[in-house]
Amino acid sequence: MSKKVLGGVAAASMVLSLAACGGGGAAAEDTLTVVMWGGGAQKAHVDSYVTPWAEETGVTIRQDSPTDYAKISAQVDSGKVSWGLVEVEPNYGKSACDDGKLEKLPQRVLDAAEKADIDPAQMNDCAIPILQYTFSIAYNTDTFGDAHPTTWAEFFDTEQFPGKRGFWKYVTGGAFEAALLADGVAPEDLYPLDLDRAFRKLETIKDDIVWYDTGDQQVQLVSSGEAPLIQAWNGRISQAAADGESVANEYGQNLVSYDQIVVPKGYANADLAFDWMVWFLENTQAQADDVVASGYGPASPQAVELVPADIRDDIAGSPAVDDKSASVIDYDYWAENYDEVTQRFNTWITE
Amino acid sequence: MTATLTPTEAAPSGPTEGRRDGALRGRLTFDRWGLLALPLLVFLLVVFIAPLAFLIASSVTDPTLGLDNYRKIFTESVYLRVLVNTFTVALTVTAVTLALAYPYAYLMTIATPRWRALLTLIILVPFWTSILVRSFALVLLLRDTGVLNSIAMSAGAIDEPVPLLRTMTGVVFGMVQIALPFAVLPMYATMRTIDRRLLDAAQGMGDRPSGAFWRVFVPLSMPGVAAGLILTFIQALGYYITPALLGGPKNTMIGELIVQQVSTVLQFGFAAALAVILLGTTFVLLAITSKFMNLERMLMGRS
Repeated sequence: MSKKVLGGVAAASMVLSLAACGGGGAAAEDTLTVVMWGGGAQKAHVDSYVTPWAEETGVTIRQDSPTDYAKISAQVDSGKVSWGLVEVEPNYGKSACDDGKLEKLPQRVLDAAEKADIDPAQMNDCAIPILQYTFSIAYNTDTFGDAHPTTWAEFFDTEQFPGKRGFWKYVTGGAFEAALLADGVAPEDLYPLDLDRAFRKLETIKDDIVWYDTGDQQVQLVSSGEAPLIQAWNGRISQAAADGESVANEYGQNLVSYDQIVVPKGYANADLAFDWMVWFLENTQAQADDVVASGYGPASPQAVELVPADIRDDIAGSPAVDDKSASVIDYDYWAENYDEVTQRFNTWITE
Repeated sequence: MTATLTPTEAAPSGPTEGRRDGALRGRLTFDRWGLLALPLLVFLLVVFIAPLAFLIASSVTDPTLGLDNYRKIFTESVYLRVLVNTFTVALTVTAVTLALAYPYAYLMTIATPRWRALLTLIILVPFWTSILVRSFALVLLLRDTGVLNSIAMSAGAIDEPVPLLRTMTGVVFGMVQIALPFAVLPMYATMRTIDRRLLDAAQGMGDRPSGAFWRVFVPLSMPGVAAGLILTFIQALGYYITPALLGGPKNTMIGELIVQQVSTVLQFGFAAALAVILLGTTFVLLAITSKFMNLERMLMGRS
């Protein structure tokens, strides 16, 4: 009996796995699959600026998460593309566009982007920005009640501000830029990065660094005091602060970053995806709604003034935060150097 | 241990002809019962053998034909270091797990039924909980501001928090906790079948109780130990979530590097080569172990 059951289970899973291989590909009429990083942020984005569009147009939205570059490659290479709109990091957006793995933006999207005052530096032939955030100095307000670091040089000063420091275990996560600024490099001379110098500077506090992988870990590390000082995504920290955690953002020398949204090459409903992009770029109110829901800054500067005044100075893209910013992460540099620096970083970090 | 195995090795000395015949016939005849294995075999072919072949192929073809991927593993220090670290952690975890599991499994065999049920439950409850949840729970327990350090500090036992999280200790702690059921259950299954009258017999013939335990019970329990050892060790090699959450960068295991190659730098061929090296090294280690422990015999329970 039990053998029969087991055999049945095996056969059933085989059928399922075969179905999974054969399925996908052709998207049904009027559906759009949206893929983001998942979690609360994806829910906020979809609720703010995907669902309202879908209701207007009658398009059925499917969701998947998280973004996975290997899956985009696999879909494009096999010609069975089931992902329509995908949120990506700009260095990937650039190299994948250059490799022909993404659909090129049509003229109507370019026009809409221009009208929305989108920073051309945040776009490429295949991608528009979808949100902004900034790498801030996040600190525990109990640990650093009186004085907290306001520059990256102070962030690296373990004598004046003892305790562990958190960095994102990821080469485009801002650690190299912060290290160079801390070492006295002028913001305008950051790129191309002097990697030797950056690694030397990081080496000086290597034993005090805690490397995190996720946004949840950021909040956990700072709020618990485990690492009272971290280089953080500002939105995560403001939301944790709003939830009553003892954490705060310092925007001195913040490093602005952004995510893009792209359409994988060969997606059947690519036109629908571009329709959405046009709507998104024009609809600055939806972008402002997302700022409230997600804590991320809007793609269009026009959306900033629609954001409620009480949170406006705490979002990437706002004048208050931009004025203090040291630089925008140069993703063209990272598209070029990502693989090489990743291998070097992996070696260094495990030593 | 080998001493108790030799009798079975030497056994087929009498009417071997007939038995070998029967074995041969048994090997060749195929009745309808064999069909029961078919779904699983097809399943394995589709989800295991074929991908494995594809993996091996892509390790020597992607991005270029040749052994470049393998050359890279052996020329860049990070990969060997991580590989050595992977096996060190796996061996440590196996050793600690076996040391904890053996007395526990023994206790289960001599306990009263009610206690035995409780002991089994204690082992099984964590087994039913997601590894992710358990690893996160351990983070809360082990971190500098976590439960263990807070208690020790408020009790005055330590002044500074002892780093447990992001250390080898943390990784081993977490992995042992996950591996325990896989060691305890096969050991208990074997120990349960040991005829305890053999121990009485040994004592009856003049051995001390501890001598009877070491010379009779321990050797008879070895098949369970071998099964536990293999399950724990092979599982430990592939751990990914636990070292990622509980270890520091210096405790990186090969699974993490493989995921990184696949999902961030998109070097499938190189990731495949790392996986093949892991698989190959595991086979070599098992081959060496089986030389000393006669694993096949133990696992088939023919001792």
